[in-house]
Amino acid sequence: MNIQGFEYDMDEMLQALLLFWIPVAMVPLGLWFSLSSQSKSTMANGRFLAFLGIIMVCLSPWSVPSSPSSAAGHLLGAVIGPCMLIIIGIYLISFSGNVAVGKLPRSDRRLGVLMSGSGFVWLAGMHWWILTPQLSPDVVNPYWYVFWPTFILLTSCLASCSAVTLLTLGDRRRAESNAMFILSGLSILILLLGINIDGPLVEANEFREHLWLAIADMAGIAVGSLLSILIFAFVIYTYERSLPPPKSIHPPTSSELDQVSKLLRNHLGGEEE
Amino acid sequence: MKESSLSMTWRMIFLAFLLPPLLILALDITFYGSFKGIDSGVSFTRFANATLTAYTLCSLFLLGNLFFYGESRNRPLAPLVGMVVATLLGILATVFFIGQGPMLLEDNGSVQAQAIYNIVHMFVSSGAILMSVCVALGVTFSAITSQKPRSDFDLEEE
Repeated sequence: MNIQGFEYDMDEMLQALLLFWIPVAMVPLGLWFSLSSQSKSTMANGRFLAFLGIIMVCLSPWSVPSSPSSAAGHLLGAVIGPCMLIIIGIYLISFSGNVAVGKLPRSDRRLGVLMSGSGFVWLAGMHWWILTPQLSPDVVNPYWYVFWPTFILLTSCLASCSAVTLLTLGDRRRAESNAMFILSGLSILILLLGINIDGPLVEANEFREHLWLAIADMAGIAVGSLLSILIFAFVIYTYERSLPPPKSIHPPTSSELDQVSKLLRNHLGGEEE
Repeated sequence: MKESSLSMTWRMIFLAFLLPPLLILALDITFYGSFKGIDSGVSFTRFANATLTAYTLCSLFLLGNLFFYGESRNRPLAPLVGMVVATLLGILATVFFIGQGPMLLEDNGSVQAQAIYNIVHMFVSSGAILMSVCVALGVTFSAITSQKPRSDFDLEEE
Protein backbone atom coordinates (compact mmCIF):
# COMPACT_ATOMS: atom_id res chain seq x y z
CA MET A 1 0.00 0.00 0.00
CA ASN A 2 1.41 3.40 -0.92
CA ILE A 3 0.07 6.10 1.42
CA GLN A 4 -0.31 9.58 -0.03
CA GLY A 5 -1.62 12.11 2.46
CA PHE A 6 -3.89 15.09 1.97
CA GLU A 7 -2.23 18.51 1.65
CA TYR A 8 -2.88 21.12 4.37
CA ASP A 9 -1.46 24.56 5.18
CA MET A 10 -1.12 23.72 8.85
CA ASP A 11 1.69 23.24 11.34
CA GLU A 12 2.63 19.53 11.53
CA MET A 13 2.35 19.41 15.33
CA LEU A 14 -1.10 21.03 15.27
CA GLN A 15 -2.14 18.67 12.49
CA ALA A 16 -1.04 15.66 14.59
CA LEU A 17 -2.85 17.06 17.65
CA LEU A 18 -6.12 17.70 15.80
CA LEU A 19 -6.20 14.65 13.55
CA PHE A 20 -4.49 11.98 15.67
CA TRP A 21 -4.23 12.76 19.39
CA ILE A 22 -7.70 14.30 19.88
CA PRO A 23 -9.35 11.33 18.07
CA VAL A 24 -7.26 8.97 20.25
CA ALA A 25 -8.57 10.76 23.36
CA MET A 26 -12.13 10.59 21.99
CA VAL A 27 -12.14 6.76 22.22
CA PRO A 28 -11.75 6.36 26.03
CA LEU A 29 -13.82 9.50 26.63
CA GLY A 30 -16.68 8.15 24.50
CA LEU A 31 -16.45 4.74 26.19
CA TRP A 32 -16.52 6.43 29.60
CA PHE A 33 -19.66 8.41 28.67
CA SER A 34 -21.40 5.35 27.26
CA LEU A 35 -20.60 3.17 30.28
CA SER A 36 -21.10 5.64 33.13
CA SER A 37 -24.12 7.66 32.02
CA GLN A 38 -27.73 6.80 32.94
CA SER A 39 -29.22 8.83 30.10
CA LYS A 40 -29.78 6.97 26.82
CA SER A 41 -28.87 9.95 24.66
CA THR A 42 -25.52 10.45 26.46
CA MET A 43 -24.81 6.73 26.09
CA ALA A 44 -25.55 6.90 22.35
CA ASN A 45 -23.43 10.07 21.98
CA GLY A 46 -20.58 8.38 23.87
CA ARG A 47 -20.67 5.37 21.56
CA PHE A 48 -20.74 7.66 18.52
CA LEU A 49 -17.78 9.65 19.89
CA ALA A 50 -15.73 6.45 20.44
CA PHE A 51 -16.66 5.15 16.95
CA LEU A 52 -15.75 8.48 15.34
CA GLY A 53 -12.44 8.44 17.22
CA ILE A 54 -11.60 4.95 15.94
CA ILE A 55 -12.47 5.94 12.35
CA MET A 56 -10.34 9.10 12.55
CA VAL A 57 -7.40 7.17 14.05
CA CYS A 58 -7.69 4.60 11.23
CA LEU A 59 -7.69 7.45 8.69
CA SER A 60 -4.66 9.15 10.29
CA PRO A 61 -2.10 7.68 7.79
CA TRP A 62 -3.92 9.73 5.11
CA SER A 63 -4.92 12.73 7.24
CA VAL A 64 -1.54 13.16 9.04
CA PRO A 65 1.05 11.28 6.97
CA SER A 66 3.86 13.45 8.39
CA SER A 67 3.34 12.07 11.93
CA PRO A 68 5.15 8.79 12.67
CA SER A 69 2.44 8.02 15.25
CA SER A 70 -0.09 7.61 12.44
CA ALA A 71 1.53 4.21 11.73
CA ALA A 72 -0.38 2.99 14.80
CA GLY A 73 -3.63 4.14 13.14
CA HIS A 74 -2.57 2.26 10.01
CA LEU A 75 -1.99 -0.89 12.07
CA LEU A 76 -5.37 -0.50 13.77
CA GLY A 77 -7.04 -0.32 10.36
CA ALA A 78 -5.13 -3.42 9.24
CA VAL A 79 -5.82 -5.66 12.24
CA ILE A 80 -9.32 -4.53 13.24
CA GLY A 81 -10.92 -6.85 10.63
CA PRO A 82 -9.29 -10.14 11.70
CA CYS A 83 -9.55 -9.24 15.39
CA MET A 84 -13.30 -8.57 15.10
CA LEU A 85 -13.72 -11.85 13.19
CA ILE A 86 -11.94 -13.74 15.99
CA ILE A 87 -13.92 -12.05 18.79
CA ILE A 88 -17.33 -12.44 17.10
CA GLY A 89 -16.45 -16.04 16.21
CA ILE A 90 -15.54 -16.89 19.81
CA TYR A 91 -18.75 -15.21 20.99
CA LEU A 92 -20.83 -17.34 18.60
CA ILE A 93 -19.04 -20.55 19.66
CA SER A 94 -19.43 -19.78 23.36
CA PHE A 95 -23.09 -18.84 23.32
CA SER A 96 -24.21 -21.64 21.00
CA GLY A 97 -23.08 -24.15 23.63
CA ASN A 98 -24.60 -25.05 26.99
CA VAL A 99 -25.32 -21.65 28.50
CA ALA A 100 -28.19 -20.75 30.81
CA VAL A 101 -28.98 -17.37 29.25
CA GLY A 102 -28.62 -15.77 25.82
CA LYS A 103 -28.35 -19.13 24.04
CA LEU A 104 -27.79 -18.93 20.28
CA PRO A 105 -28.89 -21.55 17.71
CA ARG A 106 -26.62 -24.62 17.40
CA SER A 107 -25.85 -23.71 13.75
CA ASP A 108 -24.01 -20.58 14.92
CA ARG A 109 -21.21 -22.79 16.27
CA ARG A 110 -20.01 -23.67 12.74
CA LEU A 111 -20.20 -20.03 11.70
CA GLY A 112 -18.22 -19.08 14.81
CA VAL A 113 -15.50 -21.66 14.12
CA LEU A 114 -15.31 -20.44 10.50
CA MET A 115 -15.11 -16.78 11.56
CA SER A 116 -12.45 -17.19 14.25
CA GLY A 117 -10.47 -19.60 12.03
CA SER A 118 -10.53 -17.06 9.17
CA GLY A 119 -9.43 -14.34 11.59
CA PHE A 120 -6.39 -16.35 12.69
CA VAL A 121 -5.54 -17.31 9.09
CA TRP A 122 -5.82 -13.62 8.09
CA LEU A 123 -3.38 -12.62 10.87
CA ALA A 124 -1.01 -15.46 9.93
CA GLY A 125 -1.25 -14.27 6.30
CA MET A 126 0.09 -10.92 7.49
CA HIS A 127 3.27 -12.70 8.55
CA TRP A 128 3.77 -15.33 5.85
CA TRP A 129 1.83 -14.01 2.89
CA ILE A 130 1.20 -10.76 1.05
CA LEU A 131 -1.13 -9.28 3.68
CA THR A 132 1.64 -7.71 5.83
CA PRO A 133 0.69 -4.12 6.84
CA GLN A 134 2.98 -1.90 4.73
CA LEU A 135 3.35 1.88 4.99
CA SER A 136 4.87 1.99 1.50
CA PRO A 137 5.90 -0.83 -0.86
CA ASP A 138 8.25 -3.21 1.04
CA VAL A 139 8.23 -1.04 4.19
CA VAL A 140 6.54 -3.02 6.96
CA ASN A 141 4.57 -1.03 9.54
CA PRO A 142 6.95 -0.98 12.56
CA TYR A 143 4.10 -1.48 14.99
CA TRP A 144 3.26 -4.83 13.36
CA TYR A 145 6.49 -6.11 14.95
CA VAL A 146 5.10 -5.01 18.32
CA PHE A 147 1.54 -6.31 17.95
CA TRP A 148 2.10 -9.77 16.44
CA PRO A 149 4.76 -11.26 18.78
CA THR A 150 3.06 -9.76 21.87
CA PHE A 151 -0.33 -11.17 20.86
CA ILE A 152 0.90 -14.67 20.01
CA LEU A 153 3.26 -14.98 23.00
CA LEU A 154 0.74 -13.76 25.55
CA THR A 155 -2.01 -15.95 24.06
CA SER A 156 0.21 -19.00 24.50
CA CYS A 157 1.13 -17.96 28.09
CA LEU A 158 -2.48 -17.28 29.09
CA ALA A 159 -3.78 -20.46 27.41
CA SER A 160 -1.18 -22.55 29.24
CA CYS A 161 -2.06 -20.77 32.50
CA SER A 162 -5.78 -21.38 31.90
CA ALA A 163 -5.16 -25.08 31.11
CA VAL A 164 -3.30 -25.64 34.40
CA THR A 165 -5.93 -23.64 36.31
CA LEU A 166 -8.73 -25.80 34.88
CA LEU A 167 -6.78 -28.95 35.81
CA THR A 168 -5.84 -27.93 39.34
CA LEU A 169 -8.73 -25.76 40.54
CA GLY A 170 -11.52 -27.07 38.29
CA ASP A 171 -13.60 -30.16 38.88
CA ARG A 172 -13.43 -32.78 36.05
CA ARG A 173 -12.20 -30.22 33.51
CA ARG A 174 -9.64 -32.41 31.70
CA ALA A 175 -11.28 -32.04 28.24
CA GLU A 176 -11.44 -28.24 28.57
CA SER A 177 -7.85 -28.18 29.86
CA ASN A 178 -6.70 -30.20 26.84
CA ALA A 179 -8.36 -27.68 24.49
CA MET A 180 -6.41 -24.88 26.19
CA PHE A 181 -3.15 -26.86 25.97
CA ILE A 182 -3.82 -27.28 22.23
CA LEU A 183 -4.29 -23.49 21.84
CA SER A 184 -1.09 -22.84 23.78
CA GLY A 185 0.78 -25.43 21.69
CA LEU A 186 -0.49 -23.92 18.42
CA SER A 187 0.63 -20.45 19.54
CA ILE A 188 4.09 -21.78 20.46
CA LEU A 189 4.23 -23.51 17.06
CA ILE A 190 3.43 -20.20 15.30
CA LEU A 191 6.21 -18.51 17.33
CA LEU A 192 8.71 -21.27 16.49
CA LEU A 193 7.79 -21.06 12.79
CA GLY A 194 8.11 -17.27 12.97
CA ILE A 195 11.63 -17.36 14.41
CA ASN A 196 12.81 -19.96 11.90
CA ILE A 197 10.98 -19.37 8.61
CA ASP A 198 11.13 -16.08 6.68
CA GLY A 199 7.96 -14.47 5.37
CA PRO A 200 7.93 -12.45 2.11
CA LEU A 201 8.58 -9.24 4.08
CA VAL A 202 9.18 -10.34 7.66
CA GLU A 203 12.53 -12.06 8.20
CA ALA A 204 12.92 -14.75 10.85
CA ASN A 205 15.84 -12.98 12.58
CA GLU A 206 13.92 -9.72 12.75
CA PHE A 207 10.90 -11.52 14.23
CA ARG A 208 13.17 -13.24 16.77
CA GLU A 209 14.59 -9.87 17.91
CA HIS A 210 11.11 -8.45 18.28
CA LEU A 211 9.93 -11.51 20.18
CA TRP A 212 12.49 -10.87 22.93
CA LEU A 213 11.64 -7.17 22.84
CA ALA A 214 7.97 -8.12 23.32
CA ILE A 215 8.96 -10.08 26.45
CA ALA A 216 10.89 -7.04 27.76
CA ASP A 217 7.91 -4.86 26.91
CA MET A 218 5.39 -7.06 28.74
CA ALA A 219 7.69 -7.33 31.78
CA GLY A 220 8.03 -3.54 31.80
CA ILE A 221 4.27 -3.04 31.53
CA ALA A 222 3.68 -5.49 34.39
CA VAL A 223 6.28 -3.82 36.64
CA GLY A 224 5.11 -0.26 35.85
CA SER A 225 1.41 -1.05 36.33
CA LEU A 226 2.03 -2.93 39.60
CA LEU A 227 4.13 -0.06 40.89
CA SER A 228 1.41 2.49 40.19
CA ILE A 229 -1.27 0.24 41.75
CA LEU A 230 0.90 -0.15 44.86
CA ILE A 231 1.34 3.62 45.11
CA PHE A 232 -2.41 4.13 44.62
CA ALA A 233 -3.13 1.64 47.42
CA PHE A 234 -0.51 3.33 49.63
CA VAL A 235 -2.09 6.79 49.04
CA ILE A 236 -5.58 5.50 49.93
CA TYR A 237 -4.26 3.56 52.95
CA THR A 238 -2.36 6.60 54.29
CA TYR A 239 -5.42 8.83 53.88
CA GLU A 240 -7.83 6.35 55.51
CA ARG A 241 -5.40 5.85 58.43
CA SER A 242 -5.11 9.60 59.00
CA LEU A 243 -8.90 9.95 59.40
CA PRO A 244 -10.14 10.39 63.01
CA PRO A 245 -12.05 7.37 64.39
CA PRO A 246 -15.85 7.72 63.99
CA LYS A 247 -17.59 9.37 66.99
CA SER A 248 -19.22 6.84 69.28
CA ILE A 249 -22.67 7.68 70.66
CA HIS A 250 -23.75 7.42 74.29
CA PRO A 251 -25.42 4.17 75.42
CA PRO A 252 -29.25 4.29 75.56
CA THR A 253 -30.80 5.63 78.75
CA SER A 254 -33.27 3.59 80.82
CA SER A 255 -36.25 5.61 79.51
CA GLU A 256 -35.13 4.95 75.90
CA LEU A 257 -34.77 1.24 76.66
CA ASP A 258 -38.26 1.24 78.18
CA GLN A 259 -39.66 2.90 75.06
CA VAL A 260 -37.97 0.32 72.78
CA SER A 261 -39.25 -2.61 74.83
CA LYS A 262 -42.76 -1.09 74.77
CA LEU A 263 -42.63 -0.76 70.99
CA LEU A 264 -41.32 -4.31 70.59
CA ARG A 265 -44.05 -5.69 72.85
CA ASN A 266 -46.72 -3.92 70.78
CA HIS A 267 -45.41 -5.37 67.52
CA LEU A 268 -44.63 -8.94 68.55
CA GLY A 269 -46.99 -11.81 68.98
CA GLY A 270 -50.22 -10.95 67.10
CA GLU A 271 -53.82 -11.72 67.86
CA GLU A 272 -54.96 -15.22 68.66
CA GLU A 273 -57.66 -16.69 66.37
CA MET B 1 -8.09 -27.01 50.06
CA LYS B 2 -5.11 -26.92 52.43
CA GLU B 3 -3.02 -23.73 52.45
CA SER B 4 0.20 -25.50 51.40
CA SER B 5 -1.56 -27.27 48.53
CA LEU B 6 -3.17 -23.96 47.44
CA SER B 7 0.20 -22.23 47.41
CA MET B 8 1.59 -25.13 45.34
CA THR B 9 -1.31 -24.68 42.89
CA TRP B 10 -0.58 -20.95 42.53
CA ARG B 11 3.08 -21.73 41.86
CA MET B 12 2.10 -24.25 39.19
CA ILE B 13 -0.21 -21.69 37.53
CA PHE B 14 2.58 -19.09 37.57
CA LEU B 15 5.05 -21.59 36.10
CA ALA B 16 2.51 -22.52 33.41
CA PHE B 17 2.34 -18.83 32.47
CA LEU B 18 6.13 -18.69 32.09
CA LEU B 19 6.37 -22.04 30.29
CA PRO B 20 6.03 -20.87 26.63
CA PRO B 21 8.89 -18.31 26.65
CA LEU B 22 11.06 -20.70 28.69
CA LEU B 23 10.36 -23.47 26.19
CA ILE B 24 11.35 -21.26 23.25
CA LEU B 25 14.49 -20.19 25.12
CA ALA B 26 15.37 -23.83 25.85
CA LEU B 27 14.85 -24.81 22.20
CA ASP B 28 16.97 -21.85 21.09
CA ILE B 29 19.83 -22.86 23.39
CA THR B 30 19.54 -26.49 22.28
CA PHE B 31 19.68 -25.73 18.56
CA TYR B 32 21.88 -22.61 18.42
CA GLY B 33 23.91 -22.96 21.63
CA SER B 34 23.19 -19.38 22.73
CA PHE B 35 20.46 -16.77 23.23
CA LYS B 36 20.25 -15.91 19.55
CA GLY B 37 18.80 -12.49 18.76
CA ILE B 38 18.84 -11.12 22.32
CA ASP B 39 20.57 -7.75 22.64
CA SER B 40 20.55 -7.06 26.37
CA GLY B 41 21.10 -3.30 25.88
CA VAL B 42 18.14 -2.87 23.52
CA SER B 43 15.97 -5.15 25.68
CA PHE B 44 16.81 -3.14 28.79
CA THR B 45 15.96 0.13 27.00
CA ARG B 46 12.58 -1.30 25.99
CA PHE B 47 11.95 -2.65 29.50
CA ALA B 48 12.80 0.70 31.12
CA ASN B 49 10.71 2.71 28.66
CA ALA B 50 7.76 0.32 29.08
CA THR B 51 8.04 0.51 32.89
CA LEU B 52 8.11 4.31 32.97
CA THR B 53 5.29 4.69 30.43
CA ALA B 54 3.09 2.03 32.05
CA TYR B 55 3.62 3.59 35.48
CA THR B 56 2.72 7.10 34.24
CA LEU B 57 -0.32 6.06 32.18
CA CYS B 58 -1.62 3.69 34.86
CA SER B 59 -1.20 6.43 37.51
CA LEU B 60 -3.19 8.82 35.30
CA PHE B 61 -5.96 6.22 34.97
CA LEU B 62 -6.01 5.63 38.73
CA LEU B 63 -6.05 9.40 39.32
CA GLY B 64 -9.30 9.45 37.32
CA ASN B 65 -10.62 6.66 39.54
CA LEU B 66 -9.97 8.77 42.64
CA PHE B 67 -12.88 11.02 41.63
CA PHE B 68 -15.24 8.05 42.08
CA TYR B 69 -13.57 7.21 45.39
CA GLY B 70 -14.01 10.86 46.46
CA GLU B 71 -17.77 10.67 45.89
CA SER B 72 -18.13 8.40 48.94
CA ARG B 73 -15.70 10.43 51.08
CA ASN B 74 -16.90 14.04 50.85
CA ARG B 75 -14.32 14.85 48.14
CA PRO B 76 -11.08 14.86 50.15
CA LEU B 77 -8.10 16.65 48.60
CA ALA B 78 -5.29 14.71 50.31
CA PRO B 79 -5.38 11.47 48.23
CA LEU B 80 -5.93 13.49 45.05
CA VAL B 81 -2.83 15.56 45.75
CA GLY B 82 -0.89 12.39 46.65
CA MET B 83 -1.81 10.72 43.36
CA VAL B 84 -1.11 13.89 41.33
CA VAL B 85 2.37 13.98 42.92
CA ALA B 86 2.88 10.27 42.09
CA THR B 87 1.85 10.88 38.46
CA LEU B 88 4.05 13.97 38.15
CA LEU B 89 6.92 11.94 39.56
CA GLY B 90 6.40 9.41 36.76
CA ILE B 91 6.37 12.15 34.08
CA LEU B 92 9.48 13.83 35.54
CA ALA B 93 11.32 10.50 35.86
CA THR B 94 10.46 9.67 32.22
CA VAL B 95 11.71 13.05 30.96
CA PHE B 96 14.81 12.90 33.19
CA PHE B 97 15.89 9.38 32.23
CA ILE B 98 15.21 9.83 28.50
CA GLY B 99 17.13 13.12 28.64
CA GLN B 100 20.21 11.36 30.02
CA GLY B 101 21.32 10.44 26.51
CA PRO B 102 21.23 7.30 24.42
CA MET B 103 20.40 5.00 27.38
CA LEU B 104 16.62 5.23 26.89
CA LEU B 105 16.48 6.82 23.43
CA GLU B 106 15.48 4.18 20.89
CA ASP B 107 15.50 5.30 17.24
CA ASN B 108 14.29 8.80 18.19
CA GLY B 109 16.21 12.05 18.22
CA SER B 110 14.64 13.95 21.11
CA VAL B 111 12.99 13.44 24.49
CA GLN B 112 9.63 14.58 23.10
CA ALA B 113 9.79 12.18 20.15
CA GLN B 114 10.78 9.26 22.42
CA ALA B 115 8.00 10.08 24.93
CA ILE B 116 5.37 10.20 22.16
CA TYR B 117 6.76 6.98 20.65
CA ASN B 118 6.54 5.33 24.10
CA ILE B 119 2.87 6.30 24.45
CA VAL B 120 1.94 5.04 20.96
CA HIS B 121 3.99 1.87 21.55
CA MET B 122 2.09 1.34 24.81
CA PHE B 123 -1.27 1.68 22.99
CA VAL B 124 -0.24 -0.98 20.47
CA SER B 125 1.11 -3.33 23.17
CA SER B 126 -2.02 -2.80 25.27
CA GLY B 127 -4.17 -3.58 22.22
CA ALA B 128 -2.26 -6.84 21.69
CA ILE B 129 -2.52 -7.70 25.40
CA LEU B 130 -6.27 -6.95 25.43
CA MET B 131 -6.78 -9.07 22.32
CA SER B 132 -4.88 -12.04 23.75
CA VAL B 133 -6.80 -11.80 27.05
CA CYS B 134 -10.07 -11.81 25.03
CA VAL B 135 -8.93 -14.85 23.03
CA ALA B 136 -7.68 -16.83 26.06
CA LEU B 137 -10.79 -16.08 28.18
CA GLY B 138 -13.14 -16.58 25.22
CA VAL B 139 -11.65 -19.95 24.25
CA THR B 140 -11.71 -21.11 27.91
CA PHE B 141 -15.38 -20.13 28.14
CA SER B 142 -16.27 -21.78 24.84
CA ALA B 143 -14.38 -24.95 25.88
CA ILE B 144 -16.48 -25.06 29.06
CA THR B 145 -19.81 -24.36 27.33
CA SER B 146 -19.14 -26.90 24.57
CA GLN B 147 -19.23 -29.79 27.07
CA LYS B 148 -22.41 -31.72 27.81
CA PRO B 149 -24.44 -30.33 30.73
CA ARG B 150 -23.59 -32.04 34.02
CA SER B 151 -26.20 -33.81 36.08
CA ASP B 152 -26.50 -32.76 39.74
CA PHE B 153 -27.14 -36.42 40.64
CA ASP B 154 -23.59 -37.36 39.53
CA LEU B 155 -22.17 -34.80 41.93
CA GLU B 156 -24.37 -36.02 44.78
CA GLU B 157 -23.34 -39.66 44.18
CA GLU B 158 -19.67 -38.63 44.50
